[in-house]
Amino acid sequence: MTKNTKKLTPGGAILNIVLWLVSIGFLYSVIWLFYSAMKTKTEFNLNSIALPMHPTLDNFKNVFTITNIPLYMGNSFLVTAVAIVGILLISFVMGYFLSRFDFKGKTTIFTVLLIGMLIPQHSLMVPITIIFTKLGLTDHRLTLVLPYIAFQLPIGVYLVESYVRSIPKEMEEAAAIDGASFNYTLFNIILRMTTPVLSTVAIISFFACWNEFIFALILTTKSNLRTLQLGLTAFKGSYSANYQMIMASMFIGILPALILFVFGSKKIMDGMVVGAVKG
Amino acid sequence: MRSMIEPSKKKIWAYLTPGILIYAFVVFIPILYAIYYSFFDWSGGTHMTFIKFENYSKLIRDMDFWGAIKNNLILVVVCIIGQIGLAFVMSILLNSRQARNKQLHMSIAFFPSTLAAIVIGSVWSLIFDYRHGLLNWALTALGHGDSIQPWLSNPKLSIYFVAIPVIWQFVGYYLIIIMSAYSSIDKSLLEAAEIDGATAIQQSRYITLPIIKPALVVCLVLCIAGNMKIFDHIYVMTGGSANTMVGAMYAYNVSFKMMKMGYGSAVAIGILLVSLVITIASKQLSSLGANND
Repeated sequence: MTKNTKKLTPGGAILNIVLWLVSIGFLYSVIWLFYSAMKTKTEFNLNSIALPMHPTLDNFKNVFTITNIPLYMGNSFLVTAVAIVGILLISFVMGYFLSRFDFKGKTTIFTVLLIGMLIPQHSLMVPITIIFTKLGLTDHRLTLVLPYIAFQLPIGVYLVESYVRSIPKEMEEAAAIDGASFNYTLFNIILRMTTPVLSTVAIISFFACWNEFIFALILTTKSNLRTLQLGLTAFKGSYSANYQMIMASMFIGILPALILFVFGSKKIMDGMVVGAVKG
Repeated sequence: MRSMIEPSKKKIWAYLTPGILIYAFVVFIPILYAIYYSFFDWSGGTHMTFIKFENYSKLIRDMDFWGAIKNNLILVVVCIIGQIGLAFVMSILLNSRQARNKQLHMSIAFFPSTLAAIVIGSVWSLIFDYRHGLLNWALTALGHGDSIQPWLSNPKLSIYFVAIPVIWQFVGYYLIIIMSAYSSIDKSLLEAAEIDGATAIQQSRYITLPIIKPALVVCLVLCIAGNMKIFDHIYVMTGGSANTMVGAMYAYNVSFKMMKMGYGSAVAIGILLVSLVITIASKQLSSLGANND
Protein backbone atom coordinates (compact mmCIF):
# COMPACT_ATOMS: atom_id res chain seq x y z
CA MET A 1 0.00 0.00 0.00
CA THR A 2 2.97 2.29 0.53
CA LYS A 3 3.55 2.16 -3.22
CA ASN A 4 0.32 4.06 -3.81
CA THR A 5 1.70 7.14 -2.16
CA LYS A 6 4.41 7.43 -4.81
CA LYS A 7 3.69 9.84 -7.60
CA LEU A 8 2.64 8.48 -10.96
CA THR A 9 5.10 8.89 -13.81
CA PRO A 10 3.65 9.60 -17.31
CA GLY A 11 4.32 5.95 -18.18
CA GLY A 12 2.52 4.94 -15.02
CA ALA A 13 -0.46 7.07 -15.95
CA ILE A 14 -0.68 5.35 -19.35
CA LEU A 15 -0.37 1.98 -17.63
CA ASN A 16 -3.29 2.75 -15.36
CA ILE A 17 -5.39 3.98 -18.26
CA VAL A 18 -4.65 0.70 -20.08
CA LEU A 19 -5.65 -1.27 -16.98
CA TRP A 20 -8.95 0.60 -16.76
CA LEU A 21 -9.66 0.05 -20.45
CA VAL A 22 -9.07 -3.68 -19.98
CA SER A 23 -11.36 -3.74 -16.95
CA ILE A 24 -14.07 -1.90 -18.85
CA GLY A 25 -13.64 -4.52 -21.56
CA PHE A 26 -14.38 -7.20 -19.00
CA LEU A 27 -17.41 -5.38 -17.67
CA TYR A 28 -18.86 -3.86 -20.81
CA SER A 29 -20.92 -6.79 -22.01
CA VAL A 30 -22.64 -6.98 -18.63
CA ILE A 31 -23.24 -3.25 -18.64
CA TRP A 32 -24.55 -3.44 -22.21
CA LEU A 33 -26.87 -6.24 -21.12
CA PHE A 34 -28.16 -4.07 -18.29
CA TYR A 35 -28.87 -0.86 -20.16
CA SER A 36 -30.19 -2.63 -23.26
CA ALA A 37 -32.69 -4.38 -21.04
CA MET A 38 -34.04 -0.95 -20.11
CA LYS A 39 -34.87 -0.05 -23.70
CA THR A 40 -38.10 -0.48 -25.58
CA LYS A 41 -38.16 -2.74 -28.60
CA THR A 42 -38.24 0.16 -31.06
CA GLU A 43 -35.39 1.92 -29.34
CA PHE A 44 -33.23 -1.21 -29.36
CA ASN A 45 -33.95 -1.91 -33.03
CA LEU A 46 -33.12 1.67 -33.92
CA ASN A 47 -29.77 1.71 -32.14
CA SER A 48 -28.54 -1.24 -30.13
CA ILE A 49 -25.53 0.56 -28.68
CA ALA A 50 -26.78 3.91 -27.42
CA LEU A 51 -27.86 4.40 -23.84
CA PRO A 52 -31.63 4.25 -23.37
CA MET A 53 -33.34 7.61 -23.95
CA HIS A 54 -36.29 6.74 -21.74
CA PRO A 55 -35.10 3.96 -19.42
CA THR A 56 -37.90 1.60 -18.54
CA LEU A 57 -38.11 -1.32 -16.13
CA ASP A 58 -40.96 -2.90 -18.11
CA ASN A 59 -38.78 -5.64 -19.54
CA PHE A 60 -37.67 -6.74 -16.09
CA LYS A 61 -41.26 -6.57 -14.89
CA ASN A 62 -42.42 -8.65 -17.85
CA VAL A 63 -39.76 -11.26 -17.21
CA PHE A 64 -41.15 -11.65 -13.70
CA THR A 65 -44.84 -11.53 -14.59
CA ILE A 66 -45.33 -13.18 -17.98
CA THR A 67 -42.40 -15.59 -18.31
CA ASN A 68 -41.43 -18.70 -16.39
CA ILE A 69 -38.03 -17.32 -15.40
CA PRO A 70 -38.97 -16.93 -11.69
CA LEU A 71 -40.09 -20.57 -11.64
CA TYR A 72 -36.82 -21.69 -13.23
CA MET A 73 -34.89 -19.59 -10.77
CA GLY A 74 -36.74 -21.22 -7.91
CA ASN A 75 -35.91 -24.65 -9.31
CA SER A 76 -32.24 -23.70 -9.57
CA PHE A 77 -32.22 -22.33 -6.02
CA LEU A 78 -33.78 -25.49 -4.64
CA VAL A 79 -31.43 -27.87 -6.45
CA THR A 80 -28.37 -25.77 -5.64
CA ALA A 81 -29.26 -25.36 -1.96
CA VAL A 82 -30.03 -29.03 -1.36
CA ALA A 83 -26.92 -30.09 -3.31
CA ILE A 84 -24.69 -27.73 -1.30
CA VAL A 85 -26.01 -29.09 2.01
CA GLY A 86 -25.33 -32.61 0.76
CA ILE A 87 -21.88 -31.77 -0.56
CA LEU A 88 -20.85 -30.06 2.68
CA LEU A 89 -22.13 -32.81 4.94
CA ILE A 90 -20.67 -35.69 2.96
CA SER A 91 -17.34 -34.01 2.15
CA PHE A 92 -16.98 -33.07 5.79
CA VAL A 93 -17.60 -36.58 7.10
CA MET A 94 -15.56 -38.33 4.39
CA GLY A 95 -12.73 -35.81 4.55
CA TYR A 96 -12.57 -36.13 8.33
CA PHE A 97 -12.47 -39.92 8.39
CA LEU A 98 -9.97 -40.17 5.55
CA SER A 99 -7.73 -37.65 7.26
CA ARG A 100 -7.89 -38.95 10.82
CA PHE A 101 -8.05 -42.72 10.71
CA ASP A 102 -6.11 -45.49 9.01
CA PHE A 103 -8.13 -48.36 7.63
CA LYS A 104 -8.04 -50.83 4.81
CA GLY A 105 -9.46 -49.42 1.58
CA LYS A 106 -8.48 -45.82 2.28
CA THR A 107 -6.10 -45.56 -0.67
CA THR A 108 -8.70 -47.16 -2.92
CA ILE A 109 -11.20 -44.46 -1.98
CA PHE A 110 -8.63 -41.77 -2.73
CA THR A 111 -7.74 -43.33 -6.09
CA VAL A 112 -11.36 -43.66 -7.16
CA LEU A 113 -12.04 -40.03 -6.22
CA LEU A 114 -8.98 -38.95 -8.19
CA ILE A 115 -10.11 -40.89 -11.25
CA GLY A 116 -13.45 -39.18 -10.95
CA MET A 117 -11.75 -35.80 -11.14
CA LEU A 118 -9.94 -36.76 -14.34
CA ILE A 119 -13.03 -38.02 -16.17
CA PRO A 120 -14.83 -35.40 -18.25
CA GLN A 121 -18.39 -35.40 -16.92
CA HIS A 122 -19.92 -35.64 -20.37
CA SER A 123 -18.51 -39.15 -20.78
CA LEU A 124 -21.11 -40.10 -18.15
CA MET A 125 -24.05 -38.62 -20.09
CA VAL A 126 -25.37 -41.83 -21.65
CA PRO A 127 -25.06 -44.22 -18.69
CA ILE A 128 -26.45 -41.70 -16.20
CA THR A 129 -29.44 -41.03 -18.44
CA ILE A 130 -30.05 -44.78 -18.85
CA ILE A 131 -29.69 -45.56 -15.15
CA PHE A 132 -31.83 -42.62 -14.05
CA THR A 133 -34.53 -43.42 -16.60
CA LYS A 134 -34.62 -47.10 -15.64
CA LEU A 135 -34.96 -46.25 -11.95
CA GLY A 136 -37.51 -43.52 -12.65
CA LEU A 137 -35.31 -40.83 -11.18
CA THR A 138 -35.56 -38.33 -14.04
CA ASP A 139 -37.96 -35.40 -14.03
CA HIS A 140 -38.09 -35.03 -10.31
CA ARG A 141 -37.64 -31.74 -8.52
CA LEU A 142 -34.45 -33.07 -6.91
CA THR A 143 -33.15 -35.25 -9.76
CA LEU A 144 -30.06 -33.13 -10.28
CA VAL A 145 -29.07 -33.16 -6.62
CA LEU A 146 -27.44 -36.60 -6.83
CA PRO A 147 -25.13 -35.89 -9.78
CA TYR A 148 -24.29 -32.44 -8.44
CA ILE A 149 -23.28 -33.88 -5.06
CA ALA A 150 -21.20 -36.61 -6.69
CA PHE A 151 -19.42 -34.23 -9.07
CA GLN A 152 -18.32 -31.91 -6.25
CA LEU A 153 -17.38 -34.66 -3.79
CA PRO A 154 -13.78 -35.25 -4.90
CA ILE A 155 -12.76 -31.61 -4.53
CA GLY A 156 -14.76 -31.21 -1.31
CA VAL A 157 -13.24 -34.32 0.27
CA TYR A 158 -9.71 -33.31 -0.75
CA LEU A 159 -10.05 -29.80 0.67
CA VAL A 160 -11.56 -31.00 3.97
CA GLU A 161 -9.05 -33.84 4.26
CA SER A 162 -6.03 -31.55 4.03
CA TYR A 163 -7.62 -28.99 6.34
CA VAL A 164 -8.41 -31.53 9.08
CA ARG A 165 -4.76 -32.63 9.03
CA SER A 166 -3.89 -29.16 10.40
CA ILE A 167 -6.21 -29.60 13.39
CA PRO A 168 -4.36 -31.22 16.33
CA LYS A 169 -5.67 -34.62 17.44
CA GLU A 170 -5.62 -33.33 21.02
CA MET A 171 -8.90 -31.57 20.22
CA GLU A 172 -10.78 -34.84 20.04
CA GLU A 173 -8.88 -36.34 22.94
CA ALA A 174 -9.69 -33.40 25.20
CA ALA A 175 -13.32 -33.60 24.16
CA ALA A 176 -13.36 -37.33 24.91
CA ILE A 177 -11.92 -36.75 28.37
CA ASP A 178 -14.62 -34.18 29.01
CA GLY A 179 -17.12 -36.88 28.18
CA ALA A 180 -18.26 -35.65 24.78
CA SER A 181 -19.69 -38.33 22.53
CA PHE A 182 -18.09 -39.11 19.18
CA ASN A 183 -20.90 -37.47 17.24
CA TYR A 184 -20.92 -34.42 19.46
CA THR A 185 -17.20 -33.94 18.92
CA LEU A 186 -17.54 -34.47 15.18
CA PHE A 187 -20.62 -32.36 14.46
CA ASN A 188 -20.02 -29.60 16.97
CA ILE A 189 -16.35 -29.15 17.76
CA ILE A 190 -14.67 -30.30 14.55
CA LEU A 191 -17.40 -29.00 12.26
CA ARG A 192 -17.03 -25.55 13.77
CA MET A 193 -13.27 -25.63 13.35
CA THR A 194 -13.54 -26.55 9.67
CA THR A 195 -15.93 -23.70 8.75
CA PRO A 196 -13.28 -21.82 6.74
CA VAL A 197 -12.67 -24.73 4.39
CA LEU A 198 -16.35 -25.61 4.30
CA SER A 199 -17.18 -22.10 3.15
CA THR A 200 -14.67 -22.54 0.34
CA VAL A 201 -16.34 -25.81 -0.65
CA ALA A 202 -19.74 -24.08 -0.49
CA ILE A 203 -18.56 -21.31 -2.82
CA ILE A 204 -17.09 -23.69 -5.38
CA SER A 205 -20.24 -25.80 -5.21
CA PHE A 206 -22.59 -22.87 -5.55
CA PHE A 207 -21.13 -21.72 -8.84
CA ALA A 208 -20.69 -25.26 -10.16
CA CYS A 209 -24.33 -26.20 -9.45
CA TRP A 210 -25.96 -22.87 -10.28
CA ASN A 211 -24.20 -22.72 -13.66
CA GLU A 212 -24.40 -26.40 -14.58
CA PHE A 213 -26.06 -27.09 -17.89
CA ILE A 214 -25.45 -30.43 -19.58
CA PHE A 215 -26.96 -32.74 -16.95
CA ALA A 216 -29.87 -30.39 -16.44
CA LEU A 217 -30.40 -30.68 -20.19
CA ILE A 218 -30.40 -34.48 -20.43
CA LEU A 219 -32.19 -35.31 -17.15
CA THR A 220 -35.04 -32.80 -17.38
CA THR A 221 -37.78 -33.14 -19.96
CA LYS A 222 -40.69 -31.46 -18.17
CA SER A 223 -40.64 -27.74 -18.84
CA ASN A 224 -41.81 -26.81 -15.33
CA LEU A 225 -38.73 -28.51 -13.82
CA ARG A 226 -36.18 -26.61 -15.90
CA THR A 227 -33.31 -24.97 -14.11
CA LEU A 228 -32.49 -21.34 -14.82
CA GLN A 229 -29.76 -22.10 -17.36
CA LEU A 230 -32.03 -24.47 -19.21
CA GLY A 231 -34.90 -21.99 -19.04
CA LEU A 232 -32.76 -19.17 -20.40
CA THR A 233 -31.72 -21.30 -23.36
CA ALA A 234 -35.31 -22.27 -24.14
CA PHE A 235 -36.39 -18.67 -23.60
CA LYS A 236 -33.82 -17.45 -26.10
CA GLY A 237 -35.40 -19.70 -28.70
CA SER A 238 -38.99 -18.64 -28.10
CA TYR A 239 -38.36 -14.91 -27.78
CA SER A 240 -35.77 -14.73 -30.54
CA ALA A 241 -37.27 -11.54 -32.01
CA ASN A 242 -37.47 -9.82 -28.66
CA TYR A 243 -33.89 -8.97 -27.78
CA GLN A 244 -34.59 -6.70 -24.81
CA MET A 245 -36.65 -9.41 -23.13
CA ILE A 246 -33.84 -11.91 -23.60
CA MET A 247 -31.35 -9.42 -22.25
CA ALA A 248 -33.53 -8.58 -19.26
CA SER A 249 -33.95 -12.26 -18.43
CA MET A 250 -30.24 -12.90 -18.72
CA PHE A 251 -29.43 -9.95 -16.51
CA ILE A 252 -31.82 -11.29 -13.89
CA GLY A 253 -30.15 -14.66 -14.40
CA ILE A 254 -26.70 -13.35 -13.53
CA LEU A 255 -27.93 -11.19 -10.64
CA PRO A 256 -27.41 -13.81 -7.89
CA ALA A 257 -23.82 -14.40 -8.96
CA LEU A 258 -23.26 -10.64 -9.29
CA ILE A 259 -24.61 -9.90 -5.80
CA LEU A 260 -22.56 -12.69 -4.25
CA PHE A 261 -19.49 -11.47 -6.07
CA VAL A 262 -19.88 -7.86 -5.00
CA PHE A 263 -20.00 -8.91 -1.36
CA GLY A 264 -17.37 -11.59 -1.33
CA SER A 265 -15.13 -11.29 -4.35
CA LYS A 266 -11.91 -11.97 -2.44
CA LYS A 267 -13.24 -15.11 -0.78
CA ILE A 268 -14.80 -16.33 -4.04
CA MET A 269 -11.61 -15.76 -6.02
CA ASP A 270 -9.45 -17.53 -3.44
CA GLY A 271 -11.92 -20.39 -3.16
CA MET A 272 -12.38 -21.02 -6.85
CA VAL A 273 -8.66 -20.83 -7.54
CA VAL A 274 -7.79 -23.14 -4.63
CA GLY A 275 -10.39 -25.56 -5.92
CA ALA A 276 -8.90 -25.57 -9.40
CA VAL A 277 -5.27 -25.74 -8.39
CA LYS A 278 -5.80 -28.55 -5.89
CA GLY A 279 -7.99 -30.32 -8.38
CA MET B 1 -5.72 -42.49 24.58
CA ARG B 2 -5.93 -43.27 20.87
CA SER B 3 -8.55 -45.97 21.48
CA MET B 4 -10.76 -43.36 23.09
CA ILE B 5 -11.26 -41.44 19.89
CA GLU B 6 -10.55 -44.15 17.34
CA PRO B 7 -13.91 -45.54 16.17
CA SER B 8 -14.32 -49.18 15.21
CA LYS B 9 -13.84 -50.21 11.57
CA LYS B 10 -17.56 -50.84 11.35
CA LYS B 11 -18.29 -47.33 12.51
CA ILE B 12 -15.82 -45.82 10.05
CA TRP B 13 -17.48 -47.57 7.12
CA ALA B 14 -20.93 -46.64 8.37
CA TYR B 15 -19.97 -42.96 8.20
CA LEU B 16 -18.33 -43.31 4.79
CA THR B 17 -21.12 -45.30 3.17
CA PRO B 18 -23.52 -42.50 2.07
CA GLY B 19 -20.77 -40.67 0.18
CA ILE B 20 -19.38 -43.83 -1.37
CA LEU B 21 -22.84 -44.93 -2.49
CA ILE B 22 -23.70 -41.63 -4.16
CA TYR B 23 -20.31 -41.45 -5.81
CA ALA B 24 -20.44 -45.04 -7.03
CA PHE B 25 -23.98 -44.54 -8.30
CA VAL B 26 -23.31 -41.35 -10.27
CA VAL B 27 -19.66 -41.62 -11.32
CA PHE B 28 -18.03 -44.99 -10.83
CA ILE B 29 -20.71 -47.41 -12.02
CA PRO B 30 -21.73 -45.17 -14.97
CA ILE B 31 -18.18 -44.99 -16.28
CA LEU B 32 -18.02 -48.79 -16.27
CA TYR B 33 -21.39 -48.83 -18.03
CA ALA B 34 -20.13 -46.37 -20.64
CA ILE B 35 -17.28 -48.75 -21.46
CA TYR B 36 -19.73 -51.68 -21.54
CA TYR B 37 -22.25 -49.90 -23.81
CA SER B 38 -19.50 -48.93 -26.22
CA PHE B 39 -19.25 -52.57 -27.37
CA PHE B 40 -22.90 -52.69 -28.44
CA ASP B 41 -25.05 -51.56 -31.31
CA TRP B 42 -27.87 -50.03 -29.34
CA SER B 43 -30.47 -47.32 -29.81
CA GLY B 44 -31.54 -47.15 -26.17
CA GLY B 45 -34.33 -49.73 -26.38
CA THR B 46 -34.39 -53.34 -25.17
CA HIS B 47 -32.56 -54.65 -28.19
CA MET B 48 -28.76 -54.61 -27.78
CA THR B 49 -26.35 -56.31 -30.17
CA PHE B 50 -22.84 -57.13 -29.01
CA ILE B 51 -20.48 -56.03 -31.79
CA LYS B 52 -17.10 -56.23 -30.08
CA PHE B 53 -14.79 -53.42 -31.20
CA GLU B 54 -16.83 -52.40 -34.24
CA ASN B 55 -17.81 -49.03 -32.70
CA TYR B 56 -14.17 -48.24 -32.10
CA SER B 57 -13.00 -49.23 -35.57
CA LYS B 58 -15.83 -47.04 -36.91
CA LEU B 59 -14.76 -44.25 -34.58
CA ILE B 60 -11.19 -44.30 -35.88
CA ARG B 61 -12.49 -43.81 -39.42
CA ASP B 62 -15.19 -41.29 -38.42
CA MET B 63 -14.18 -37.98 -39.98
CA ASP B 64 -16.90 -36.11 -38.08
CA PHE B 65 -15.39 -37.30 -34.81
CA TRP B 66 -11.87 -36.26 -35.78
CA GLY B 67 -13.18 -32.97 -37.13
CA ALA B 68 -14.73 -32.31 -33.73
CA ILE B 69 -11.52 -33.28 -31.94
CA LYS B 70 -9.63 -30.98 -34.30
CA ASN B 71 -11.91 -28.11 -33.27
CA ASN B 72 -11.25 -28.93 -29.60
CA LEU B 73 -7.54 -28.74 -30.35
CA ILE B 74 -7.93 -25.42 -32.17
CA LEU B 75 -9.76 -24.09 -29.11
CA VAL B 76 -7.01 -25.45 -26.84
CA VAL B 77 -4.30 -23.67 -28.82
CA VAL B 78 -6.23 -20.42 -29.28
CA CYS B 79 -7.16 -20.37 -25.61
CA ILE B 80 -3.66 -21.15 -24.38
CA ILE B 81 -2.41 -18.16 -26.35
CA GLY B 82 -5.41 -15.99 -25.56
CA GLN B 83 -6.10 -16.89 -21.95
CA ILE B 84 -2.74 -17.72 -20.44
CA GLY B 85 -0.92 -15.26 -22.72
CA LEU B 86 -3.22 -12.35 -21.89
CA ALA B 87 -3.29 -13.30 -18.22
CA PHE B 88 0.49 -13.33 -18.18
CA VAL B 89 0.72 -9.90 -19.83
CA MET B 90 -1.87 -8.52 -17.43
CA SER B 91 0.00 -9.96 -14.46
CA ILE B 92 3.14 -8.12 -15.56
CA LEU B 93 1.19 -4.86 -15.91
CA LEU B 94 -0.49 -5.32 -12.53
CA ASN B 95 2.78 -6.08 -10.79
CA SER B 96 4.27 -2.82 -11.95
CA ARG B 97 4.92 -0.47 -9.07
CA GLN B 98 2.90 2.19 -10.80
CA ALA B 99 -0.25 0.11 -11.04
CA ARG B 100 -3.11 1.28 -8.83
CA ASN B 101 -6.31 -0.50 -7.71
CA LYS B 102 -4.73 -3.90 -8.26
CA GLN B 103 -7.33 -5.82 -6.27
CA LEU B 104 -10.20 -4.08 -8.05
CA HIS B 105 -8.84 -4.84 -11.52
CA MET B 106 -8.28 -8.45 -10.53
CA SER B 107 -11.83 -8.78 -9.23
CA ILE B 108 -13.31 -7.24 -12.38
CA ALA B 109 -11.25 -9.53 -14.62
CA PHE B 110 -12.28 -12.53 -12.56
CA PHE B 111 -16.00 -11.75 -12.49
CA PRO B 112 -16.92 -13.31 -15.89
CA SER B 113 -15.61 -16.70 -14.79
CA THR B 114 -18.33 -16.87 -12.13
CA LEU B 115 -21.06 -16.53 -14.75
CA ALA B 116 -22.87 -19.36 -16.49
CA ALA B 117 -21.42 -20.37 -19.85
CA ILE B 118 -24.98 -20.23 -21.16
CA VAL B 119 -25.27 -16.53 -20.33
CA ILE B 120 -21.79 -15.72 -21.65
CA GLY B 121 -22.55 -17.58 -24.87
CA SER B 122 -25.89 -15.82 -25.30
CA VAL B 123 -24.49 -12.37 -24.64
CA TRP B 124 -21.69 -12.90 -27.12
CA SER B 125 -24.03 -14.23 -29.78
CA LEU B 126 -25.81 -10.91 -29.38
CA ILE B 127 -22.48 -9.08 -29.67
CA PHE B 128 -21.76 -11.00 -32.89
CA ASP B 129 -25.36 -10.60 -34.06
CA TYR B 130 -25.67 -9.50 -37.68
CA ARG B 131 -28.20 -6.71 -37.21
CA HIS B 132 -27.87 -5.59 -33.59
CA GLY B 133 -24.43 -6.75 -32.60
CA LEU B 134 -21.75 -4.53 -31.10
CA LEU B 135 -19.13 -5.90 -33.48
CA ASN B 136 -20.91 -4.97 -36.69
CA TRP B 137 -21.89 -1.64 -35.19
CA ALA B 138 -18.25 -0.91 -34.38
CA LEU B 139 -17.11 -2.00 -37.84
CA THR B 140 -19.70 0.25 -39.48
CA ALA B 141 -18.76 3.15 -37.23
CA LEU B 142 -15.11 2.69 -38.17
CA GLY B 143 -15.98 2.75 -41.88
CA HIS B 144 -15.68 -0.97 -42.52
CA GLY B 145 -19.39 -1.41 -43.14
CA ASP B 146 -18.68 -3.64 -46.14
CA SER B 147 -17.01 -6.33 -44.02
CA ILE B 148 -19.91 -6.89 -41.65
CA GLN B 149 -21.32 -10.40 -41.65
CA PRO B 150 -23.06 -12.99 -39.46
CA TRP B 151 -19.82 -14.01 -37.77
CA LEU B 152 -21.00 -17.20 -36.15
CA SER B 153 -22.28 -18.61 -39.45
CA ASN B 154 -19.00 -18.27 -41.33
CA PRO B 155 -17.59 -21.82 -41.50
CA LYS B 156 -14.05 -20.56 -41.92
CA LEU B 157 -14.06 -18.12 -39.01
CA SER B 158 -16.72 -19.25 -36.58
CA ILE B 159 -14.49 -21.54 -34.50
CA TYR B 160 -12.28 -18.55 -33.71
CA PHE B 161 -15.28 -16.39 -32.93
CA VAL B 162 -16.70 -18.91 -30.48
CA ALA B 163 -13.25 -18.96 -28.86
CA ILE B 164 -13.42 -15.23 -28.09
CA PRO B 165 -16.07 -15.47 -25.34
CA VAL B 166 -14.31 -18.49 -23.86
CA ILE B 167 -11.06 -16.55 -23.72
CA TRP B 168 -12.81 -13.46 -22.37
CA GLN B 169 -14.55 -15.46 -19.67
CA PHE B 170 -11.48 -17.16 -18.20
CA VAL B 171 -8.57 -14.71 -18.60
CA GLY B 172 -9.26 -13.41 -15.10
CA TYR B 173 -9.28 -16.91 -13.71
CA TYR B 174 -5.79 -17.63 -14.99
CA LEU B 175 -4.71 -14.15 -13.96
CA ILE B 176 -5.56 -14.91 -10.33
CA ILE B 177 -3.63 -18.19 -10.42
CA ILE B 178 -0.57 -16.43 -11.85
CA MET B 179 -0.91 -13.49 -9.46
CA SER B 180 -1.03 -15.76 -6.43
CA ALA B 181 2.20 -17.37 -7.62
CA TYR B 182 3.72 -13.91 -7.96
CA SER B 183 2.87 -13.08 -4.38
CA SER B 184 5.11 -15.93 -3.23
CA ILE B 185 8.14 -14.23 -4.78
CA ASP B 186 10.43 -12.73 -2.18
CA LYS B 187 10.50 -9.01 -2.97
CA SER B 188 13.97 -8.60 -1.49
CA LEU B 189 15.27 -11.01 -4.12
CA LEU B 190 14.10 -8.68 -6.87
CA GLU B 191 15.45 -5.64 -5.07
CA ALA B 192 18.83 -7.30 -4.65
CA ALA B 193 18.84 -8.18 -8.35
CA GLU B 194 17.97 -4.60 -9.19
CA ILE B 195 20.81 -3.28 -7.04
CA ASP B 196 23.14 -5.70 -8.79
CA GLY B 197 22.08 -4.11 -12.04
CA ALA B 198 19.71 -6.73 -13.45
CA THR B 199 17.34 -5.31 -16.06
CA ALA B 200 13.59 -5.85 -15.80
CA ILE B 201 13.81 -8.50 -18.53
CA GLN B 202 16.65 -10.31 -16.77
CA GLN B 203 14.70 -10.19 -13.52
CA SER B 204 11.66 -11.80 -15.05
CA ARG B 205 13.71 -14.32 -17.01
CA TYR B 206 15.83 -15.54 -14.10
CA ILE B 207 13.75 -14.85 -11.01
CA THR B 208 10.06 -14.36 -11.76
CA LEU B 209 9.54 -16.89 -14.53
CA PRO B 210 11.10 -19.90 -12.77
CA ILE B 211 9.01 -19.17 -9.66
CA ILE B 212 5.67 -18.78 -11.46
CA LYS B 213 6.37 -21.67 -13.84
CA PRO B 214 4.48 -24.27 -11.76
CA ALA B 215 1.46 -21.93 -11.82
CA LEU B 216 1.75 -21.63 -15.59
CA VAL B 217 1.78 -25.43 -15.87
CA VAL B 218 -1.38 -25.59 -13.74
CA CYS B 219 -2.97 -23.03 -16.10
CA LEU B 220 -1.91 -25.09 -19.10
CA VAL B 221 -3.43 -28.29 -17.74
CA LEU B 222 -6.65 -26.50 -16.75
CA CYS B 223 -6.84 -24.86 -20.16
CA ILE B 224 -6.47 -28.19 -21.98
CA ALA B 225 -8.96 -29.97 -19.73
CA GLY B 226 -11.46 -27.12 -20.01
CA ASN B 227 -11.36 -26.91 -23.79
CA MET B 228 -11.43 -30.66 -24.36
CA LYS B 229 -14.76 -30.86 -22.52
CA ILE B 230 -16.30 -27.61 -23.75
CA PHE B 231 -20.01 -27.90 -24.44
CA ASP B 232 -22.25 -25.14 -23.06
CA HIS B 233 -20.71 -22.23 -24.99
CA ILE B 234 -20.92 -24.12 -28.28
CA TYR B 235 -24.43 -25.41 -27.58
CA VAL B 236 -25.81 -21.94 -27.05
CA MET B 237 -23.82 -20.06 -29.72
CA THR B 238 -23.85 -22.34 -32.76
CA GLY B 239 -25.12 -25.76 -31.70
CA GLY B 240 -22.11 -27.13 -33.54
CA SER B 241 -23.07 -25.67 -36.92
CA ALA B 242 -20.71 -23.79 -39.24
CA ASN B 243 -17.69 -26.00 -38.48
CA THR B 244 -17.82 -25.51 -34.74
CA MET B 245 -18.67 -29.08 -33.75
CA VAL B 246 -16.69 -30.18 -30.70
CA GLY B 247 -16.25 -33.59 -29.08
CA ALA B 248 -18.77 -33.30 -26.24
CA MET B 249 -21.37 -31.84 -28.60
CA TYR B 250 -20.78 -34.67 -31.07
CA ALA B 251 -21.15 -37.27 -28.31
CA TYR B 252 -24.40 -35.56 -27.26
CA ASN B 253 -25.76 -35.46 -30.82
CA VAL B 254 -24.86 -39.06 -31.59
CA SER B 255 -26.33 -40.32 -28.31
CA PHE B 256 -29.42 -38.19 -27.89
CA LYS B 257 -30.28 -36.78 -31.32
CA MET B 258 -29.45 -39.83 -33.44
CA MET B 259 -30.19 -42.16 -30.49
CA LYS B 260 -27.08 -44.24 -31.12
CA MET B 261 -26.33 -44.96 -27.47
CA GLY B 262 -23.66 -47.58 -28.13
CA TYR B 263 -21.73 -45.53 -30.63
CA GLY B 264 -22.26 -42.39 -28.54
CA SER B 265 -20.62 -44.14 -25.58
CA ALA B 266 -17.69 -45.08 -27.81
CA VAL B 267 -17.40 -41.42 -28.85
CA ALA B 268 -17.39 -40.35 -25.18
CA ILE B 269 -14.72 -42.92 -24.30
CA GLY B 270 -12.75 -41.79 -27.37
CA ILE B 271 -12.77 -38.17 -26.17
CA LEU B 272 -11.80 -39.33 -22.70
CA LEU B 273 -8.78 -41.19 -24.09
CA VAL B 274 -7.70 -38.35 -26.39
CA SER B 275 -7.90 -35.79 -23.56
CA LEU B 276 -6.02 -38.07 -21.17
CA VAL B 277 -3.24 -38.54 -23.71
CA ILE B 278 -2.98 -34.81 -24.36
CA THR B 279 -3.05 -33.92 -20.67
CA ILE B 280 -0.37 -36.47 -19.77
CA ALA B 281 1.75 -35.45 -22.77
CA SER B 282 1.55 -31.77 -21.81
CA LYS B 283 2.50 -32.56 -18.21
CA GLN B 284 5.48 -34.60 -19.44
CA LEU B 285 6.54 -31.86 -21.83
CA SER B 286 6.40 -29.16 -19.19
CA SER B 287 8.33 -31.24 -16.64
CA LEU B 288 10.89 -31.92 -19.37
CA GLY B 289 11.13 -28.17 -19.93
CA ALA B 290 11.57 -27.65 -16.19
CA ASN B 291 14.47 -30.09 -16.06
CA ASN B 292 16.30 -28.30 -18.82
CA ASP B 293 16.33 -25.06 -16.89
